[in-house]
Amino acid sequence: MRSPYSEQEVITLDNVSKRYFLHPERMRELKTALLHLPTFLKASRARQPFWALRDISLSIRRGESVGIIGPNGAGKSTLLRIVSRLAPLTKGKLTVRGRISPLLELGAGFHPQINGRENAVLNAVLLGLSHKEAKEKLPEIVEFSELREFIDQPMRTYSSGMYVRLGFAVAVHVKPEILLVDEVLAVGDAEFQRKCFDHIEKLRQNKVTIVLVSHDLENVKRFCDRAVLLNHGVIAAEGEPQKVVDEYLSGHFEFSAAPTRRGSS
Amino acid sequence: MRTVSVATPRAFDLSQVARTWELLLLLTVREVKLRYEGTILGFLWTLAKPLLLALVFSFALSRVLGIKDPRGAPYVLFLLSALFPWTWFQASIQSSAASFSNNAALLKKVYFPRFVLPLSAITSQLFHFVLSIPILALFLVVAGYRPGPEWLLGVPLLMAIQLLMLVGGVLLVASFNVFVRDLEHLVEVLMLLWLYLTPILYPLSLVKEKIGSIIYLNPMASLIQAWRDLFLYDQLPGVDIWPALVFTAVALVTGSIVFKTLEGQFEVAL
Repeated sequence: MRSPYSEQEVITLDNVSKRYFLHPERMRELKTALLHLPTFLKASRARQPFWALRDISLSIRRGESVGIIGPNGAGKSTLLRIVSRLAPLTKGKLTVRGRISPLLELGAGFHPQINGRENAVLNAVLLGLSHKEAKEKLPEIVEFSELREFIDQPMRTYSSGMYVRLGFAVAVHVKPEILLVDEVLAVGDAEFQRKCFDHIEKLRQNKVTIVLVSHDLENVKRFCDRAVLLNHGVIAAEGEPQKVVDEYLSGHFEFSAAPTRRGSS
Repeated sequence: MRTVSVATPRAFDLSQVARTWELLLLLTVREVKLRYEGTILGFLWTLAKPLLLALVFSFALSRVLGIKDPRGAPYVLFLLSALFPWTWFQASIQSSAASFSNNAALLKKVYFPRFVLPLSAITSQLFHFVLSIPILALFLVVAGYRPGPEWLLGVPLLMAIQLLMLVGGVLLVASFNVFVRDLEHLVEVLMLLWLYLTPILYPLSLVKEKIGSIIYLNPMASLIQAWRDLFLYDQLPGVDIWPALVFTAVALVTGSIVFKTLEGQFEVAL
């Protein structure tokens, strides 16, 4: 059923690993670096490798929606950052087919001095639309964000909720083929959140591939066809959402691999 | 065995190239707008700065120290013909130095061709420079000069050389600044020093008498001289422009290599 060469696969990770370095002390100022040159050189040699992801192999097919769950620091966000090309991978191979719309942080490119309309257009182009497409989509975006009266005001006058609404409206209207969602939906009021999930559901019916990182296990069960449990940078479990969530909640995998974790709520 | 690759079949198709241009254009427009946001005089401020500088310098250097154009042009015109292109150069480098580090939030959250950020600093400054050319022409006409048809060829040509030189330099400075933030402050001081080391306030011939051809080690020396010859005397750039061409090539190559090498590490440093 899951052939590695299937045409339908839109995201394929093949033994992907990501290494970061932990520096004992960071010396970012030229002055500090030069004054403490011996320490600086030693420090750059003494850096500790930290594997955020280790040999992850995963393929996601067109139209599938996959939930990534796991404790803090498991590598969930790193995985999304690698898929969206924000972080280069250290080892392995990544293949992505289709236009990715990352909902990692809504409205990341908004400039407070510029009005909502221009910000929305620029953001849409940043996310992959052409200028013409962005202008065509604008009425829909404004409509969805419910910000019509404010759209010509500079964004510094917006509340944080308004920021997020415009950001989300842009992100889901850029005709994404692959939508990466990282916890962003936790913000905004209940009404708007519901609207967002309704829209994601609609995209899902239109065969948009969705990768959802969430701590809200109910949402994962509701929206995902498949769940992946990450722990310490490796895939601890994968499969039917209900089962994977149960395994996560049972906590078996966790205590064996992370004995230092204690007293968390 | 180690394979690292990202295959994105759409990354290099034409619509991507077109989109990059559009992104550059939109960012340029935004920069220009931001600059005049909330000002009453708007573009006049961009003109006022070099014009006021010209007044100060023409008093200090021309009246007091007696510096003259060897070919007899009025000092203010002599100065402005070099100061306008220099302003484009200096402002581009200065405003682009922090273009990666100041957009950390964006660079960490959305993938797009990153080089458009420093590039938009150059193009928005180019916009101001283009607007200042008619002003210079007006001054020249008032003083009895007549801008010739050579401008039509010379201006785009020199503009292209300076643009490419800037692209290289700006990629270099902005990339390094991600890791060593001191650079954006250092650049500010260095640009001031560079202004005095370039034959802008004084004629090239004056330094050549004293130090000879070493002056051509300054990438801007031959370029500024070419702008001046064009604006004041309608002379198209000749073989004398070669140092600028060499520096442009060097800047472009090192700038792109450094940017390509460091780009992958932006995510950790930003």
